[in-house]
Amino acid sequence: MPKPSDCHYIRNFSIVAHIDHGKSTLADRLLERTGAVTARESREQLLDDMQLERERGITIKARAVALRHVHNGQEYELNLIDTPGHVDFHYEVSRSLACCEGALLLVDAFQGVEAQTVANAYAALENNLEMIPVVNKIDLTHARVDEVLEEMESSLALAAEDAILCSAKTGVGTDELLEAIIERIPPPAGDANAPLQAMVFDSHYDEFRGAITYVRLMNGTIHKGQKVQFLKTGMTMDVLELGQFSPGRTPCQELRAGQVGYLICNIKSISDVHIGDTISTPGPDHGTPLEGYKPPKRMVYCGLYPADGENFEELRDALHKLSINDPSFEFQPETSDALGFGFRCGFLGLLHMEIIQQRLEREADLDLVQTAPNVTYEIATRHGGTLYITNPQDVPDTGDIEEFRQPIVQTSFVLTSDCIGPVMQLCHERRGVYLRTEYLSPTRALLVFDLPLAEVIYDMHDRLKSITRGYGTMDYELKGYFPADLVRMDILVGGKRVDALSIICHREDAERRGRAVVKKLRTEIDRHMFEVALQAAIGGRIIARETISAIRKNVTAKCYGGDISRKRKLWAKQREGKKRMKSVGNVDIPQKAFLAVLDTGQDQKS
Amino acid sequence: MPQDEMPQLTAGMESTAPPSSQLAPRAAYIHVPFCAHRCGYCNFTVVANRQDLIPAYLDALATELACISGSHEVDTLFFGGGTPSQLALKPMEQLFSIVREAFPLASDGELSVEVNPVDLTPEKAKLLATAGVTRISLGAQSFNAGVLRTLERDHTGDDIRRAVNLARTFARSVSLDLIFATPDQTIGAWERELAAVLELEPDHVSTYGLTYERGTSFWSRLNKSELNEINEETQRQMYLLAIERLAAGGLEHYEISNFARSGHRCRHNEGYWSGDEYFAAGPGAARHIAGERSTNHRSTLTWIKRLRAGQSPITERETLLAHDKARETLVLGLRRIEGIDQREFQRKTGFTASELLGNSLNQWLRLRLVVFDGGRIRLTRNGMLLSDQMWSEVLRI
Repeated sequence: MPKPSDCHYIRNFSIVAHIDHGKSTLADRLLERTGAVTARESREQLLDDMQLERERGITIKARAVALRHVHNGQEYELNLIDTPGHVDFHYEVSRSLACCEGALLLVDAFQGVEAQTVANAYAALENNLEMIPVVNKIDLTHARVDEVLEEMESSLALAAEDAILCSAKTGVGTDELLEAIIERIPPPAGDANAPLQAMVFDSHYDEFRGAITYVRLMNGTIHKGQKVQFLKTGMTMDVLELGQFSPGRTPCQELRAGQVGYLICNIKSISDVHIGDTISTPGPDHGTPLEGYKPPKRMVYCGLYPADGENFEELRDALHKLSINDPSFEFQPETSDALGFGFRCGFLGLLHMEIIQQRLEREADLDLVQTAPNVTYEIATRHGGTLYITNPQDVPDTGDIEEFRQPIVQTSFVLTSDCIGPVMQLCHERRGVYLRTEYLSPTRALLVFDLPLAEVIYDMHDRLKSITRGYGTMDYELKGYFPADLVRMDILVGGKRVDALSIICHREDAERRGRAVVKKLRTEIDRHMFEVALQAAIGGRIIARETISAIRKNVTAKCYGGDISRKRKLWAKQREGKKRMKSVGNVDIPQKAFLAVLDTGQDQKS
Repeated sequence: MPQDEMPQLTAGMESTAPPSSQLAPRAAYIHVPFCAHRCGYCNFTVVANRQDLIPAYLDALATELACISGSHEVDTLFFGGGTPSQLALKPMEQLFSIVREAFPLASDGELSVEVNPVDLTPEKAKLLATAGVTRISLGAQSFNAGVLRTLERDHTGDDIRRAVNLARTFARSVSLDLIFATPDQTIGAWERELAAVLELEPDHVSTYGLTYERGTSFWSRLNKSELNEINEETQRQMYLLAIERLAAGGLEHYEISNFARSGHRCRHNEGYWSGDEYFAAGPGAARHIAGERSTNHRSTLTWIKRLRAGQSPITERETLLAHDKARETLVLGLRRIEGIDQREFQRKTGFTASELLGNSLNQWLRLRLVVFDGGRIRLTRNGMLLSDQMWSEVLRI
C-alpha cells in the first residue's frame, strides 16, 4: 500500500462561504466522519478555538487540519484549510486558497448566493481551484434548493448537477462530499525530491513553544531536526518539531511535497515569521522563493486611549500582547490635547477593530476611550511629497494640498430585485459610481458600485440591512486611492478645537455632518455653569453651531445634620463620574461623545 | 437631678477623653419618625400610621440615650421628624422627660420642635410650653388648598393661621416651612403664598424648592408624566422672588433656604453650617461626635430591634481626613449668606479656601459665583442658585 504522504493520495481544500452559511459546522462534520474527533469530543465549531470566534460564530484566523479517510480501500490525506468568512479578513482567504487545489463553495439552501459567496468564488477561480458547489441546510423547512442551484449556475457558471446537497447539521451528504473531494479535486503537483519550497501561510503564538509556523510544502521534504532558512528574513533555524493538526498538534518525522502542516523552530517572536515567506534549506542550492502574498492592508484607523491616563503603560502592554498573535493589527503612540497619551491603531476593517477592542477590554480589563474610526488617505503636497494620513489631525493646511485622495472600494451587493432602486439611491447619495447589475435569478440580483470606503464603513452595512429587511449582503475590495474634494472638519467646544473630534469628509457633506456632530454633542455633554458653544469649522470658517445653555439653578434646598454625609457622598459620586470625562478648557466631555462624529445627520430608521 | 450640676459632670467626663477629641457637643437632635401619612414627596425616615410603635420607640430611645452615658448640657435641642407633634400628650411628655434627662438645656438654650399645624391643640401647646419649647417650626408648606392637596398635607391655610397664633403664646420664635415649585405652580401663585406668609409675620421662614427624590411616589409619578415639574427658569424666578419678598418683609436671608427676623435665626441649624458637633438619637438620625459622623439605621423597626438586643443602632460611620473635613466645612459655611471669614476658617481647619478650591476658585470668580468681601468669601446670588453644582466641583481637585 502506498504511503499516504505520496502526493497522489493527498487532497488540499478550503471551504469558502458567506458568513453564517454553515462553514464551521460542515468542518466539524468532516472531522467527525473521518474520525479526527469522536462525536463525544465534538464541541460546536471545532476549528474556531478563539473564545471570541466561538461566541460570535465567526472564524477570524485561518486553520489547517489533516483528515484521514479511506476511499475504495485506499487511505487519503485530506487537508482542510479553514478560512475566515468576513470581508475584513479577505486577505486570509486568498492566502489559504493559494495552498489548495480545490474549494468547496458552500451556499445556504435558504439564503442562496450572497455577496461573499461571489467574492470567494472569484478568488477561488483566480487561484485555478477545482470548485465543488455545495448546498447546505437542505433540511430547512424553507430550503429552496432548486432556486439556489439556479442562482449558482447563472452567477458563477457552476453546473447544478455538480452540486452536492447536504446538511452539515444532520450529516446528510457528508459521504458524498468526501467522495467528491477525492474524486474531483486534483492531487497536488510537487516533487518530494526537489529543493525545498514551503509556503508560510499563517502562524500563531504558543506561550510555551513560541511561533508555530503553518506551511504548505510545494516541493521537497522537511525532516525533524534539519536546518531550514526563511528566505525573506534570511533567518536559519533548527526544526525542533514538525507535524500536522488533527485537529490537535500531532508531531511526525517528516513533511513532504503536497502536505500541509506546522513547524516549531524556537522562534521567540511571531513578528519574525512573515506570512507569504518561503522556507527552504540554507546554502547555495536552496529553492527559489515562491510568489508571496501582499501584506494585509490596514483600512481603518482609530485612536485608543485609556479612560484613566495612568493606565497608558498597561494599554501599551495589552496592545503589544495582542499584536503578537495578530500581525495584521498595528499601533503607534500618539498624543491628543483632549485625550492625553494613547495609540493610533490600524485594523483590517470595522469588525477587526471591534474584535480587538473587545479582546482588550476582556483580556486586559481596560476601560478605553475610542475615537471615531477613519480610513486612510493620501495627500499629494505642493512640495511634491506624498503623505499617508491615518489621523485627521495630520491633514496639512489647505494651501499645502495638491491632491487629496481617498480609498475607493468596488462593492458588490446581492439583494432581491425589489431593493435595487433604494440601494442604488443609497449608493448615489454616498457618491457611488454605478458599474453593473447582474441577475442571479428572476428575483435576485448582484449590484456593483465603486464607493468611497469611508462611506462603506460608516453605516452602509446597517443601511443595507434596513433597506433589504436583513436579506441584502455586501462585499468589497479595494480598488485604489482616487482624488476627491475632501476637507478636514474640526469641532470646537467652548471655542477650543478638540483634536480627537476632527474628521475628514467630502466638502459637500461637511455642513450636514457638522450639524449632526454638534447636535449629537449637545446631547452628550452635560450642561455647565456657563454656556458652552459647540461649533464645526473648516479652516477658520464656522459651518455649524449649537449651544449648551448654562445651568440656571441647581440648589436642592435642605442641608441639615442628616443631609451632610449623604450630600458629600452624592458629590463624591459626581466627582467619580467626572473623573472619567475628559476636560477641554473647563468643559467636561464624556467618553461616549468622542464617537459623536459617527452621527450621519440622516434618519437611521428608514 | 438638678440641671445646674450637669456642666461639671460633662467637663469631668471630657477630661478623661483622648486629647485629640474636642469638647462634647453642645447640640442634640432627636428624630421622631411618626406620621399619620407619608406625603408623596417625602423620603425622610418616617413610619406612617404606626402609632402602635410609640411605646417601643420611647423604650428604645431611652436605651440609646442611656448608652451616651451621663447627661450633657446642650445649648440647642431639636426634635424633628417625621412629626413629633403627632405624639399624644402622655407619650410626648415621656419623650421630653427622657430626652431632657440626657440633654439638659442651658439656661438660654434653644428648644425647637417640628409641628404639624393640625396637631397643635391648646392642650399640646400647654405641654410644649411646660416642656420649655422656645421655637416652633410649623410644617406649613403652602396656604393654597390645591397645592396642599397635591402635597398630600392634611391641613388648610386656616389651620396654619390658628397654629401660628397659638404657638406665639408660648414660643419665643415661630418658623414656617414653605415649599415652592410644586407641580404646575405659577409665579403668581407663589407670589400669593409669600404674601400669605408675610401677613402672619413669622419670626423665621425656611423655603425649599420641591425636589423629586428617588423612592417617593412623586418620583414615579414624575417619570410617568403624571406630575409636571416646573421648569428651571421658573424655579429660579421663584427662588429669587422669595429672597426679595421675604427680605422686604423684614426677614433677613441668612442661609440658602433660611430667613429670620433679627435675633430669631435657628441656632441649632447654624451649628450644622459651622461644622459643629452634635448628638443625635432616633431612627435614621445622624450625629457628629469627636470627628466622626455616624448614622443610625433608617428603619424604625430595625432601630428598635437592635437597641432591644443590646446592639448598636449605627449603620454607617465615617471619620474624615483633615483635608476632606476642611472641604466639608467650606461647603457648609458657604451656604451661609455671610460666607466664611478666611482667617477664622484657616485657624479652624488648617487650610485656606484657595488651597482647597484650586482652579475652581478662579473659575467661580470669573463667573461671579463667589466674591471676596473684606476678609470673607461668600456666594453671590448666582452662586447661591448654582451652589449644588459648585460643590461637586470642589470635590474634584
